[in-house]
Amino acid sequence: MSGTSGQRGTSAERPEEAARESQQAEETQAEETPEQRAARFERDAMPLLDQLYGAALRMTRNAADAEDLVQETYLKAYSAFKSFTQGTNLKAWLYRILTNTYINGYRKRQRQPQQQPTDEIADWQLAQAENHTSSGLRSAEVEALDRLPDTDVKHALQQLGEEFRMVVYLADVEGFAYKEISEIMGTPIGTVMSRLHRGRKQLRDMLTDVARDRGFLREKKQEVSTS
Amino acid sequence: MSCEDPDTTCEDVLAEVWLFLDNECDQSRREILRRHLDECGSCLEHYGIEEHLKELLHRKCGGEHAPEDLRDRLRTSIRDSVLRQADVTVEHGPEGKSVEVRTRPASAAE
Repeated sequence: MSGTSGQRGTSAERPEEAARESQQAEETQAEETPEQRAARFERDAMPLLDQLYGAALRMTRNAADAEDLVQETYLKAYSAFKSFTQGTNLKAWLYRILTNTYINGYRKRQRQPQQQPTDEIADWQLAQAENHTSSGLRSAEVEALDRLPDTDVKHALQQLGEEFRMVVYLADVEGFAYKEISEIMGTPIGTVMSRLHRGRKQLRDMLTDVARDRGFLREKKQEVSTS
Repeated sequence: MSCEDPDTTCEDVLAEVWLFLDNECDQSRREILRRHLDECGSCLEHYGIEEHLKELLHRKCGGEHAPEDLRDRLRTSIRDSVLRQADVTVEHGPEGKSVEVRTRPASAAE
């Protein structure tokens, strides 16, 4: 993760900015024909489609919207691909376009109603979360979470407010560094860290509840045997 | 639980456990935290739980596959846009139609 820090550069910036900044790079790529550019796009960007689709699913929370969002993202990326500086972080660049496309407009046409913002969490909830040793789980109990079906874990992630959901997704599922997430989301690193912190805590509590509901964890309060 | 490093308490380690896990500490801090984790069973257990949860999330929420027709649609759109940027000449000769596709220079295509 930290090993990629040297090659970030203008990678995840807005395509328009990158276009201005990379004029020099453009000159060296000027002899590239549209066919060559299309081939380069297919070679470099198309293999990331599954990952981008996964992120779009977590953003939009339904398959039809995710497909539309990814399609729009890829067509935008292709039309701006001439200005993308080769050798910089293509994956972060695509995620940045995906995030911008989603935020600047896509969200407004969403088929599902928007969740209310959860950036503000009541203090008592935070205090309660602090009292747990992280998740309130012991290591033996964490192994019980392995038995949860994927859909349960995805569903729990979907329950997080948008800002938390995306940061947790980018950090834990995609393994992006904080700096990359801050570039993708267009937020300072401090915001990334606090959202990640809160998001993880909420998610861990939710997963614990789900596992308990499914009977994978013993109910703490009713440990007395009734048999 | 007694911990050897007097400057780094269990509290410090627990506060930084995610930075350690996410590989976001600098090298010297990382070494101090690692040494503490090696010596402190309760912090190590805590770290193990966090590591397990991160890995679980990666395993259970990753690995989506984009629908094949989305992939095909995108490829088609990209190829179409390449064709739109090219000069297509259709000639009607005695032996029927002949289609010539000549690519414009990249700069003229924009």
